[in-house]
Amino acid sequence: MSHRYLLRRLGQAVPAVAAIFLLTFLLIHLAPGDPVVALGGEHGDAAYYAMIRVKFGLDRPLHERLIVYAARVIRGDLGTSFVHGRPVSGIIAERLPATLLLMLTALCLSTLVGCGLGTVAARCAHRPADFFLRSVALLGHAAPPFWLAQVAILGLAVGTGLFPVQGMTDARRNSVGLAHAADVARHLALPALVLAASELALTIRLVRSAMIEALGTDYVRTARAKGLPEMQVTDHALRNALLPVVTLIGGRVGMLCAGAVLVEAVFAWPGVGQLLLASLLSRDFPVLLGIFLLVSVSVVFANLLTDLAYGWLDPRIRYE
Amino acid sequence: MRVPHLLAAMLILAGMGSAPAHAQDAPARGGTLVVAISADPGHLNPAITTSGATHTAAELLYNGLLGRDERGNPLPELAESWQVEQAGAVYRFRLREGVKWHDGAPFTAADVKFSFEEVLLKYHARTKASMGGSLAAIETPDDRTVVFRFKQPYAPLLFQLDVTEAPIVARHIYQGSDPQANPANANPVGTGPFKLVSYKKGAEIRLVRNPGYFKKGLPHLDEVAMRIIPDAATQVLALENGEVDFLWGVPGPQQSRLSADARFRLAQTAYSPGGSNCIMTVSFNLDRPILKETRVRRALGHATDRQPFLTQVLFGEGKVATAPISSEIPWAHAEGLTMLRFDRAEAERLLEAVGWKREGDGPRVARGVPGVADGTRLAIDFLHFPTFAKYGELIRQQWGTIGVTVTLRPLEPAVFAPTVFKDRNFDTNVISYCQGPDPEIGVRRMYDSSQISAAPFTNAAGFRNAKVDALFDEAARVVERDKRSRIYRQIQEVAVQELPYFWLVETLSTRAWPARCSGFKPWAGLFAESASCKP
Repeated sequence: MSHRYLLRRLGQAVPAVAAIFLLTFLLIHLAPGDPVVALGGEHGDAAYYAMIRVKFGLDRPLHERLIVYAARVIRGDLGTSFVHGRPVSGIIAERLPATLLLMLTALCLSTLVGCGLGTVAARCAHRPADFFLRSVALLGHAAPPFWLAQVAILGLAVGTGLFPVQGMTDARRNSVGLAHAADVARHLALPALVLAASELALTIRLVRSAMIEALGTDYVRTARAKGLPEMQVTDHALRNALLPVVTLIGGRVGMLCAGAVLVEAVFAWPGVGQLLLASLLSRDFPVLLGIFLLVSVSVVFANLLTDLAYGWLDPRIRYE
Repeated sequence: MRVPHLLAAMLILAGMGSAPAHAQDAPARGGTLVVAISADPGHLNPAITTSGATHTAAELLYNGLLGRDERGNPLPELAESWQVEQAGAVYRFRLREGVKWHDGAPFTAADVKFSFEEVLLKYHARTKASMGGSLAAIETPDDRTVVFRFKQPYAPLLFQLDVTEAPIVARHIYQGSDPQANPANANPVGTGPFKLVSYKKGAEIRLVRNPGYFKKGLPHLDEVAMRIIPDAATQVLALENGEVDFLWGVPGPQQSRLSADARFRLAQTAYSPGGSNCIMTVSFNLDRPILKETRVRRALGHATDRQPFLTQVLFGEGKVATAPISSEIPWAHAEGLTMLRFDRAEAERLLEAVGWKREGDGPRVARGVPGVADGTRLAIDFLHFPTFAKYGELIRQQWGTIGVTVTLRPLEPAVFAPTVFKDRNFDTNVISYCQGPDPEIGVRRMYDSSQISAAPFTNAAGFRNAKVDALFDEAARVVERDKRSRIYRQIQEVAVQELPYFWLVETLSTRAWPARCSGFKPWAGLFAESASCKP
């Protein structure tokens, strides 16, 4: 891969992010709704609401607000939250680790387990194990996350003592070190499972079909004829079957962000998704824009990384 | 004797008295109380906002000059006594001795003066809107005396000095700074029963007992952990799973499950840190030709059966409104007022008399209605928050039976407010008008003609009545409760007669906690000041 290719791709990302920025800014500001209500409460007088408008620059024309905000973003300043009264970048940074932990766990879970189960389904194609896995995958893909979350809580948390219902840690224990990690892992299990469910199901189905196709190709037949152990044959086939999965991962970042909003709200997971929901309800424009900007940049870069991963997985792919 | 209101009854049922001293056993000392809260407050300074999220999370850190009992009456808090002088134009407060801020600095009268002049009267919307125009000066003759001087007698003061309406902040922390940008808003220094330990944004606020609290022996708990759990259903499940110990609200469908479970205690209250004594109220836009006619509004009132709102929407969590002022403000609530009864035949008769005629199965059509073109269909819209969708469904169904076509327009709060109050683009709507501890705070804004403005949640109906305006002025100046009570009764009689609004149901919220915990004060901001939990 050449550096020129990388620079060209990065260059292409800039207008994409700028367009998303402009679009989200206009969508947010032109959508009906007034943050003054959320900020001022319902008992203020006209002077009080006018003061809030001036304080947050909401009295200025839209194009002026856009220019001021764009100039700030270029300098790396995402502005100040209306509700929190602090820099947006700091607020997002506080929530980011929790969301990254949740999303990466869900991503690993859906990818690794999905590849494993998809391979098993392919190797047992048209047998009961395959039928079972396909059925589970169909259910996982069809079930809406909010419903799945409630089912997971009622079935695996309430009354069982296995998993907690909410939060990232136990409020009554102040654990440190390994005990803290175990506490977080216990709280992470259900939200990660729910967030991963849909993508996991998709991965199983995708890997299964790609593996069935790969296992029927000439090079697999040749490998078997040469007496290669079945594990190695599967490994060969899987590597080729993985290309569509990698494509899926690239596009999955955006889906996971969307899913995280819901899952974080249900499980009270203190991440960016919960912040996004709260900011939407209170029309906290700077925080909303900051999060949208972060998500759009993440999706653009995830797609870039996906393209780069193709070359690693399949040496026949070359970048010009 | 008046039947005790629902709150008191519920508390008795819940085995609670008005004070923890009624408990048989000595309260357990120590332990952590985990409280579920719905939203991240953003900051912890309740003096610069009326946001329910901030007040819910932060009030245990502060005190008001006065507290409130379960009926909303004032109790000594930072002020140990008070005198009302010059017929209510002057209030003199004697402060407690020896009260310290969490950082050890002494609390003095200067803190009170500073809190009002530099913070509350500028940034606390309710205090600013209600008291701002009337207050002449705050004087501090010595460190333990505060005098409020008003331009004319000002009646509601004693009901707006608790930690929800007027939390006192430290002058030495906020002086010379922008109160809205002061770092102490995230790391507060108060006088309250608990001190801040940590504030993990979006996750948890941790408080620890203030060992120097001025009320001896309190608090009993070692720690309070406020857990941010946005989803109400998850909050209930977390309580059932033993992960949290106190809920600020229980959704209607889950109440019967919890109340049937001996492991939990429930209590209903009209108090809320975001706004107390709320009535779900239908507003008629009096600027609209169809609704200008009183008989049409009366017809819609007669066509409204309010009982289903209580049973089907609130699951019994409230009561049918019997007057424009909440029964939770008993002295101002007009007892025995003749409200419109549910009478569909009378509703039909009134509409016919006005000229809205039935022609076939469709909606009624105007035939000689003043100000309305003949042939106009009797069709109106009904705006509501998405969370109030069930109110809209019932209204559409009930008004539909008398030949009125209702179009529902669900709007988020941030959209609803400018649509109704700024653009006045609606026929009817439903609003949860929270009346606060005194009608001057939350009722006047609904009826006073000067309150027809773009400011949210003011006079939605666009009601103008010079007599009512004058009565509100008078009620604000009179300190004697009996006299005020009579004035508010007159106002309510006019309101019921002219019907700019129709009052559906008074709403309550349900608090819940495990049976092993006790001593809560669900009616106050310092709800856990005297709470205790057995291990």
